[in-house]
Amino acid sequence: MKIRVKAFARFREILGSDLAIEVPDGATMAAVLAALRDRAGDESDAIFDEAGALRTHVVLMRNGKRVKRDDSDALADGDEVALFPPVAGG
Amino acid sequence: MRGYKAMIGITRDVIDAGAMIEAAKRPGMGALVTFCGVVRDDSGVERMELEVYEEVAVRELAAIRDEAMQKYPIESVDIVHRVGTLSVGETILLIVVGAGHRKEAFAACEYIIDRLKQTVPIWKKEFYRDGERWVPGEYVD
Repeated sequence: MKIRVKAFARFREILGSDLAIEVPDGATMAAVLAALRDRAGDESDAIFDEAGALRTHVVLMRNGKRVKRDDSDALADGDEVALFPPVAGG
Repeated sequence: MRGYKAMIGITRDVIDAGAMIEAAKRPGMGALVTFCGVVRDDSGVERMELEVYEEVAVRELAAIRDEAMQKYPIESVDIVHRVGTLSVGETILLIVVGAGHRKEAFAACEYIIDRLKQTVPIWKKEFYRDGERWVPGEYVD
């Protein structure tokens, strides 16, 4: 199934703004994050720590709602995952 | 509120503060407090680029407006945030709070800008003559 990923600010520069990631049916957020870690390559340390986990300040959303990085719910085809650094508007 | 059409949103165009204030006025208001955020020349900033997660940002702005209207005895809240490329001196954001009296309008306006900085997904990149940097945000768990 296909998951759309939106990344913003510094993370957009590393990952691209709007990408589609293919994961097996029933996959969870962990599968998407693993794919993003691979995609980020050398620059992944801006987003992930040495152990490969998302850095604590990273905000993660599923379909516009904040979720925990270890969210174990299965994703659905067409879901939109977003990840971004702390917001800085105003 | 009857007949009150709030302006809440993201724009790529110049924000006309005077027009927004005039449009917000209602007969019961004795005070309109505004917060105007502007691009500052911080050690040689030449321009700024702002980006937004628009669907979520618009929803968050509306949620902040609703919170402020519940918390304070005010009559109106308008919030417009600009994105795209802005030069020093240009308006980034305008908040207009209308109320019967000034005290609650000041308090609500401050509440709105503080919440906006915590929750609305917008980012700024500053460009200098010889470099660029992302403005660090406020992390809220």
